[in-house]
Amino acid sequence: MPSRDPAFLRIAVLALATALVAALALGLGSGGWDWPLIVSLRAPRVAAAAGVGSLLALAGLSLQVLLRNPLADPYVLGHSSGASVGALAALLLGVHLWIGAAAGALVAGLALLWLARPALAVADDASPRLILLGAMLAAIFGSIATLLLALVPDERLRGAIFWMVGDLSGADASLWNLAAAGLFVAWLWWRGRSVDRLMLGADAAWLLGEPVRRLRLELLLLASVAVGLAVATAGAIGFVGLVVAQGWRLAGVLRTRELALLSAMSGAALLMAADLLARMVAAPLELPVGAVMALIGAPCFIWFLARGVK
Amino acid sequence: MNATPLLETRTLTLRAAGRCLVEGLDWRVQAGERWCVIGRNGAGKSLVLRALAGLSVPDRAGEVLWQGRAQPDWPVGAAAALRALMPQQAQDRFALTVERTLALSAVVADAGVQGTGELMHALDIAGLAGRRVDQLSGGERQRVALAQCTVQGAALMLLDEPVSFQDPAHQQVVGRWLVDAVPAGSGRQAWIATAHDPSWIGRVATHVLALSGDGRWEAGPVDAVLCAPVLARTYGCAWRSVEGAWLPV
Repeated sequence: MPSRDPAFLRIAVLALATALVAALALGLGSGGWDWPLIVSLRAPRVAAAAGVGSLLALAGLSLQVLLRNPLADPYVLGHSSGASVGALAALLLGVHLWIGAAAGALVAGLALLWLARPALAVADDASPRLILLGAMLAAIFGSIATLLLALVPDERLRGAIFWMVGDLSGADASLWNLAAAGLFVAWLWWRGRSVDRLMLGADAAWLLGEPVRRLRLELLLLASVAVGLAVATAGAIGFVGLVVAQGWRLAGVLRTRELALLSAMSGAALLMAADLLARMVAAPLELPVGAVMALIGAPCFIWFLARGVK
Repeated sequence: MNATPLLETRTLTLRAAGRCLVEGLDWRVQAGERWCVIGRNGAGKSLVLRALAGLSVPDRAGEVLWQGRAQPDWPVGAAAALRALMPQQAQDRFALTVERTLALSAVVADAGVQGTGELMHALDIAGLAGRRVDQLSGGERQRVALAQCTVQGAALMLLDEPVSFQDPAHQQVVGRWLVDAVPAGSGRQAWIATAHDPSWIGRVATHVLALSGDGRWEAGPVDAVLCAPVLARTYGCAWRSVEGAWLPV
């Protein structure tokens, strides 16, 4: 059993690394080291990247346990495009953006669970099927979002790039995302042992006395709200949850409590770094951060798949 | 003598794929009893264990009582202290270590269960503590699953084929351990295991439930049930006993 010390060390080192990435993201970029520029332009964007990165990493972690599939990710399985549709609908109806996005993510999540139910119930092992079903849901919701954009030309709706791959330029300095990520970590910490047991299987967890149905519903709701907030802020950025949570699992971290803390921090660091790249690579042009993230994440997915990762 | 049975079924009937596998099972299991369930492949042995554990089964009728109280009336947490199920095949999706898996499986803190270290030694898995459960051999994983089931600390252990992947030496190890775990006629625990080899069953069990697969069943002390006529009816072939070992003819 790993003692507390390596876990503490990992968390401490990662906290320092995250702070360093944040400092770099604040300090680098066109315009250089200019205090008013940092406060008014870069800080909001860096805060948005950190919040969105944390939320997506935690959503990925939760979906992986919920679906018992280490390759689960809100983008790959259609939650993000469901959130895009929900957000666009909310814009057209004049409802709060993130509420629509969270509802859209929840609908996508419930649809996936319902479609995968026969497979999940029989063998408790629906890996390839689940990923394919999720990919098809992502395609359906993605095309609905595209249709909405094409049918309703409206200056309030942001461009297709935002809803399809995600973009942080012009993101608001909402500290809500960071606060929500904090609450998400707190919940995972509180429910840590139960979530750990869920990794043994739904039947196994139930036999051990866990209220499995409620636990899974809570996981799905939290993941949906997290994805909703993230998509409302930065559009459909993918693969953060896949790369971060699965990366730590491969590094031997398997306790939900530690995994939640590490994922929240490294999700934030990863997206801040990806956004820094997106701003710097072709400066003064800015690339959409979602495309940069997909270039990092999709090869990771392929690598995990090829290795038969568990 | 007439203590509340650990487990009782009242006219339990199980059907699957349009066939009636078990019909009107009236059965009592007391603490201190070691039951083996026998039957052909597909006769409904695993289904019976699932139903006894309270897991969903396709089509069931009748009642299952744990300690005199109907199954649905048990809160999920209290049920975990009463019964444990070792599934036939573990479904490992995450790379948990053996040690972590066992730690997660503990429910009853002080059940008089032997220490985990001692248990792992007895089941010959002491050397596997740091290994990933998804990388063990079939036999090793099965013994780890048996240990998981044991550390739960439940009074009633339901074991779906605890020795199907074990080599002859480990069949002995597991058999001896199962006998020691539930001393006949005493203690607070009992186990019910599905198994196939009548000779092994004759050495470890105190009682046998034989399923014919067509709804008929026979339950009783091992000496009464483990006999040529019942074995013939259960498996559809003749049997003879040679110096305590049962051989199909």
